[in-house]
Amino acid sequence: MDRIPVTVLTGFLGSGKTTLLNRILSENHGKRIAVIENEFGEVGVDHQLVIGAEEEIFETNNGCICCTVRGDLLRILGQLLKRRDKFDYIIVETTGMADPGPVAQTFFLDDDFKQQFLLDAIVTLVDARHIEKHLDEMKEPGEQVAFADVILLNKTDLVGAAELERIERRVRAINGTARIFRTQNANVPIDRVLDVGAFDLQRALAVDGSFLEPQYPFEWAGVYQLPAGQHTLRTGADTHAHHHHDHGHDHDHGHHHEHHHDHDHDHGHHGHAHDQGLGLVVLPVAAATEQALASAIESAVRAFAEEPVGVDCGGSLKAGPVLHAIDVNHEGGHFVIDVAAAGAHAIFCEHAPAEFNLRVEGTTPVAQRAFASHHHDEEISSIGITDPRPLDPQKLNDWLSYLLKSRGADIFRMKGVISLKGESRRYVFHGVHMMFDGQLERPWATGATRQNTLVFIGRNLDRQELEAGFHSCLA
Amino acid sequence: MSRVKTPNAILELRGEIKLDDYIVDIAWSTDATRLVAAGGEGKVFLCKYGESVLEARDVGQHGMGTLAVAWQPSGSVFASSGQDSRITLFDAEGGLLAQQRPSINWTTALAWSPDGKRLATATAKQISLWNPSLVLEHAFAPLASTVTALGWDKPGRDLAAAMNGGLVVHRIEPPRFQLRHYKWAAPCLTAAFSPSSRFLATGTQDGSVHFWHLSTGRDSQMRGYPGRVEIMSWSGDSRYLATAADEQVVLWDFSGKGPEGSRPLQLRGHTDRIECLAFQPGGNHLVTGGRDWRLSLWLPGKATTALDAQLTVSEPTCLRWSADGRFVAAGERNGRLSIYELVRIV
Repeated sequence: MDRIPVTVLTGFLGSGKTTLLNRILSENHGKRIAVIENEFGEVGVDHQLVIGAEEEIFETNNGCICCTVRGDLLRILGQLLKRRDKFDYIIVETTGMADPGPVAQTFFLDDDFKQQFLLDAIVTLVDARHIEKHLDEMKEPGEQVAFADVILLNKTDLVGAAELERIERRVRAINGTARIFRTQNANVPIDRVLDVGAFDLQRALAVDGSFLEPQYPFEWAGVYQLPAGQHTLRTGADTHAHHHHDHGHDHDHGHHHEHHHDHDHDHGHHGHAHDQGLGLVVLPVAAATEQALASAIESAVRAFAEEPVGVDCGGSLKAGPVLHAIDVNHEGGHFVIDVAAAGAHAIFCEHAPAEFNLRVEGTTPVAQRAFASHHHDEEISSIGITDPRPLDPQKLNDWLSYLLKSRGADIFRMKGVISLKGESRRYVFHGVHMMFDGQLERPWATGATRQNTLVFIGRNLDRQELEAGFHSCLA
Repeated sequence: MSRVKTPNAILELRGEIKLDDYIVDIAWSTDATRLVAAGGEGKVFLCKYGESVLEARDVGQHGMGTLAVAWQPSGSVFASSGQDSRITLFDAEGGLLAQQRPSINWTTALAWSPDGKRLATATAKQISLWNPSLVLEHAFAPLASTVTALGWDKPGRDLAAAMNGGLVVHRIEPPRFQLRHYKWAAPCLTAAFSPSSRFLATGTQDGSVHFWHLSTGRDSQMRGYPGRVEIMSWSGDSRYLATAADEQVVLWDFSGKGPEGSRPLQLRGHTDRIECLAFQPGGNHLVTGGRDWRLSLWLPGKATTALDAQLTVSEPTCLRWSADGRFVAAGERNGRLSIYELVRIV
């Protein structure tokens, strides 16, 4: 018998869950849907079965958060199983403050449940107007975004275009793999939220490709043709109307964040906190071309790994492999670039220059390029690893077991498609906290490049640690 | 008793009727002439059984689903409860006698004391005691978690409630309502005293059976199940505790030193998950119903294979013996209710 698909609908209060639910229930999609709502009051909507649930969290094993499930769901699902010929889809609507973890884990808890139900997708609604504030002030909205397979960036009519771009970037930084749809009144084609197959191993990792591109410590580079002499690099508006940054973003990567609310976060610029200045490297390059810019990337990456040299307003920038941290907490900064010999120079910048109105006086870049970068300032983030080299099955198993045991609480979601040495089929896995499901799926297409793709979404993830772990699995 | 070589008993179909939706629960009247069935669609059916004829009519409704029915032992009333939270009391003809609505939460469990003088109900975290006219005798302080099952001991002195975190036992005799908490850090799904009142057992969500020696409070965990254990039944002589979490019947032997450290008896025959099981009252025959659309009759300890098997027309959902141990009522997912007689072969 086919498994019953289940969509989990999360989202903060006011994000539009009820609007979406009503839309789903009233639309003619031919499905008989059983809805488990977060509030009591059994209401039959036409042919739909609506059941009220009172959230009850069960810790099944020593209080570990990875082993928490929703007790109320266990009971209701048990009842629904017996009526499974009466409906063909289940939607679980959570409360605004719900942690999606226990809801998702409920479906992995028990072999019988795994055989009967198919978690289709976690759909998270985001209120575009309030999400930034919510992300700053509470932990739940970030968790809901992190757990999602599908994110509806809703109420887009209530924010401006630039704001929306910024919000989507921030949401994307937290969750690199979810499909994001911009909506008004939660208006989205139903097939974008139901029967998505996000937990279907055969359809796993239909990931936004840009997320898995190599990531760089800088977001932008431009190449300039500069004559010998002194040049002025300026930031901020000439009118001194530039937004003022607050300092004090306290971010401790090594520590589990219990006191999230204490964080002081300024969002004048994309949520980044530049308490150490804006990272900048100036490199002489062979020519003012895109090719020359590309060939300088490696040197720039190395330079960005160095300890930054702080440069106050009015200070000078060296042309060479030196990371400068220029003071942009100043309303309209200016810095001196000393060019000994005329020629092409590339400027690599930690963030897009438009954010700071950064420019070199009297000239414009001949070529420029944007880069996908890390967003270190979100406590919850996504880390992707791609690598074509085949892995050793035993080593992979050891590493994943270790990860689940040691980091299961912090890793909300993980997904992967793996190329195993000597195996013609793709090994595919996904996990929610410590709940893990993996198997060999269809063979790699003949002629296609075999490639490992892994994605981790979680709290305080350490890219170096994950990459080192991955490398230890190489066959 | 000599070893069984040929089946000493079989099940013979005596009557059947098709109700509307899956059958959640069934209760027999003490004289085995009537049954009440809880329907998954919310109806309450009163069925009359005699001369191999089974008739049914619906007498009540519990919102989107009836969850429990219970006939008063040696009495002439029965109760039903459901997702609408209501508890309804009927006379033997299905006439409405009284109704209560403790809250808006599901009333999931009903349990008459063995003497029929009290009805215990569980509505979310709230356990209530009612007299046979459905007048509230006592409402206990709400427990820490939702009650999943209720069970009386044979003397009707102790009432056990299963919940997340263990079993809670209320002493009903003076000093009244003394409370004991048998802690176990898992969602507990059943609460079953052995007929001897020496043991209290529960099945858990995390795939184990846990039991307590009531004289000492010592507890033991029996593991090895592939998933949640939500069905269990004691044999009439308290020797066996039958449980299942997949297609095998797992029986723990409480004779002698007890089941600790022993391997359980495993009965194989079903080819898919067992959904319901029940030991014969006052006897040692066991019936099981599985997702393989089969009812099996067993005599644990005497025969390792089923004595008999009957095919059903959908998944069995509920099995109940009549109090005299003569008939078994089987409910199915498609609404079929059938009655079998245990026929001994000499």
